[in-house]
Amino acid sequence: MQIRFPLLRFFRGLAFRYSLFFLIAILLILFFPLLIGYGTSSVLLFIQAQKEATILTEQTVARFENVLQPTELVPQTLVQAMENPNISYEEVLRIARDFVHHDTIVFGTCLAFEPFMYGKENYWYAAYAFEKKGKLNTRMLGGPGYDYFKMDWYRLPKILNKAVWTEPYYDAGGGDTLMCTYSTPIYRNLKGKRTFAGVLTMDVSLAGFASIVKSVNIFKTGYGLLVSQNGKIIASPRLSLGNKNIIDISKSGRGQQTQNAIREMITGKSGFTQMDGLESKRFPSYLSYAPVAKTGWSFGILFPEEELYDDMYKFLKVMSWMFGISILILLLTTIFITRRMTRPIVRLVDATQKIGQGDFNAKLPVRKSKDEVAQLTKAFAVMQDELRSYIHNLEETTTAKEKIESELNVAHNIQMGMLPRGFSTPENWDLFATLDPAKAVGGDLYDFFYLDDDHLCIAIGDVAGKGVPASLFMMVTRTLLRAKTVSGTPISVVMQSINSELCKDNPSQMFVTFFAGIVDLKTGEMEFCNAGHNYPYILSQGGGLRQLKIRNGLPLGIYETAEYTSGKFSFTPNEILVLTTDGITEALNTSNDFFGEAKLAASLASLANRNTKVLTELLIGELKRFSTGAEQADDITILALQYKDSNKQETMGDRTSQIKLLNQVSELDKIVLKIEELSERWNIPAKAVLEITLVLEELFTNVVFYAFDDKEIHYITVDITLVDEHTLQLRLEDDGKPFNLLEKQMDDVFTQTIDERKIGGLGIHFVKAMMKNVEYERSGNNNVVIVTKNF
Amino acid sequence: MELLEQKTDQCVVVSINGRLDTTNYAILEKKLMDLIEGHQEKILVECSNMDYISSSGLRILLMALKKISSVKGKFALCGLQENINEIFEISGFTSIFEIHPTKDEALKVF
Repeated sequence: MQIRFPLLRFFRGLAFRYSLFFLIAILLILFFPLLIGYGTSSVLLFIQAQKEATILTEQTVARFENVLQPTELVPQTLVQAMENPNISYEEVLRIARDFVHHDTIVFGTCLAFEPFMYGKENYWYAAYAFEKKGKLNTRMLGGPGYDYFKMDWYRLPKILNKAVWTEPYYDAGGGDTLMCTYSTPIYRNLKGKRTFAGVLTMDVSLAGFASIVKSVNIFKTGYGLLVSQNGKIIASPRLSLGNKNIIDISKSGRGQQTQNAIREMITGKSGFTQMDGLESKRFPSYLSYAPVAKTGWSFGILFPEEELYDDMYKFLKVMSWMFGISILILLLTTIFITRRMTRPIVRLVDATQKIGQGDFNAKLPVRKSKDEVAQLTKAFAVMQDELRSYIHNLEETTTAKEKIESELNVAHNIQMGMLPRGFSTPENWDLFATLDPAKAVGGDLYDFFYLDDDHLCIAIGDVAGKGVPASLFMMVTRTLLRAKTVSGTPISVVMQSINSELCKDNPSQMFVTFFAGIVDLKTGEMEFCNAGHNYPYILSQGGGLRQLKIRNGLPLGIYETAEYTSGKFSFTPNEILVLTTDGITEALNTSNDFFGEAKLAASLASLANRNTKVLTELLIGELKRFSTGAEQADDITILALQYKDSNKQETMGDRTSQIKLLNQVSELDKIVLKIEELSERWNIPAKAVLEITLVLEELFTNVVFYAFDDKEIHYITVDITLVDEHTLQLRLEDDGKPFNLLEKQMDDVFTQTIDERKIGGLGIHFVKAMMKNVEYERSGNNNVVIVTKNF
Repeated sequence: MELLEQKTDQCVVVSINGRLDTTNYAILEKKLMDLIEGHQEKILVECSNMDYISSSGLRILLMALKKISSVKGKFALCGLQENINEIFEISGFTSIFEIHPTKDEALKVF
């Protein structure tokens, strides 16, 4: 097969396959380290991130606490000072002012006391000092409009007996900033009893906290989150989270994991967990959280999960590119190398294809190195040489053979040309002959020629062996016959003479069985000599058959001195002499059975009343049917000669009539008309006409109704022959299923009562009752019924 | 073939003219079966102009005879030509059928 598409050729080539294998191997080699690296890195990255986040959380919380701690410590000293019941209002106010002034994150402080602690007229007594725009202000709080006793910053420390951080709030009137208040209870020893006297509050600005939270950065978008005890987001750089409650956010469409994490965070625990993002975009995220001591607040750091692996992915991307480029380079190298290696093979393939197409001079690629390809090329070169000379020889042999074959054809034509073809005979003689050679040239022969006006020489022979030698011998024999047969010379002398000539120069010991006869065309007498040939058949008019079982000597060519006698045969009018060779009796069928004498005799008997040409052709036809599928082993030769009654000038054509009928009842009319016509010509009496018509109708309808199972058209042939003046023969032939009417046992119609009489079967009874003779035979695929009627 | 039908006081006379063979027996079959099914149980078949009969024609006559016998009717033939009569003899039908030489004679016994 020649591959015409270069690309296709490449895909089927070694280069492609090697590269493919390389590619797969490299991918496998690189894939596993990458996979393992990816797995390990992600675990390490996770651990690293957790560590980092936790540390950052703790650091940030520490920063908060550093800010808060002094704030918490200062009141202790103040509170202790306030425990002195004699401390004056001015003193208290001074302390508050000092404190606010000095502390950076405290921008307001309030000293609020129980009712009537300072004077009976003072139900509310609270001094508030605060910074505003860098200026220190002082104000007294309390009144019916501002009943601080009911406020958390006062109530909670009183009830809880401890310092308390309030929830963050936005102070609009005071600091204009998000703030948060730290309230410490003040106790005084009154009447020897430690009694709650009031609270000291410090307003702490959370602006500083916000900046701390803002300063927290982790990964790309990680952010901090300061949350109060109730979940209120105190500080976060994310505006969308401002003033919202983290518990509400965690419950709005986030998973259980998120809710759990937030609950843990709010309740003052610390940890690191996975959860949903809190903003509108809920990237899977990680949260690190820790409580801010004493305040009940919690601080968390949240960052999207993907950012954790961002660097790794970047690294992987770079790695993949590097791998890809490396593989590409490797592939190209592989393809280049393998193509370089296979190029000579491809060239060799091209050259070989040319050789295969018959170009034996196709140039093989030259190879300087001594590698395997060079050896292959060398081997091909040797093969090319061998092939060239082999083909050359083959061509010569073939030419020679063709020459012989054409010569054989010429020989066949010469041999066939020598056989006489013109079968013109006197009126009362009918001659026909045929020769069908098994090979191009055969060893059979027939011949006939006139010695004078009244004498016809006929001959048939069969040379032992076949092919060219046999045909040459046959031609010699035939030439000798023509040369030696002279009018007046007895046939035995002719044969003797031919024999001695054949024996003289017969180095290969060939011989021929031969029958020759000289027929006196006037008298119908024949003088013949049978030199070891098959016995001829004599077929008489009514179908009678006999053989001329006479031998007059050995086959010709055996002994030079062999003697030959002659026999005499006298033709009875209408008798046919049939000469054959053993190619007929020894014809084989596919199961290796001979056609045989018996079959030949039976066939000949059934072919009575035909002229010699029809008889010969039908016999050959029978033989061909018999040996269908088998090879013809021997030449087949037939010569038939009939002596016709010279007194009766009418020909057989006038005495026979044939009608071909379709298998339809309507065809009956043709029978009726034909019989009418023949009855006039042949003087058949009315009663016989009725009976013949009746019998023909019965036979014909029987075939039409019962012989065919199919719906096809079939022909039924009816031959009507006037055998003699008072005998008529009817012959029906059909190709239906076998039906032998002779085997039908007829009921005895005369003893049956009306009830016993069956409706069918009457027709065959008529045939048997009205005809003189009824015969049936199955001939090939045909039923043949022959009946005769005397009248 | 041609069929003629004539009703008399005693019976129906069916005359067959021409050839009765396989090409036309069905016509006779229909005629006779129609008569029998119409409860015409006395039938005389007149054959003086019947030139030819084959087994298919005979079969119809036999069928008619059997049918009419089973209903105790009467079926007879008359006027057979000599050659036709011979066919009847060969078939053995002469012993089964009631055959009269002429129509007049036949009508006497109906």
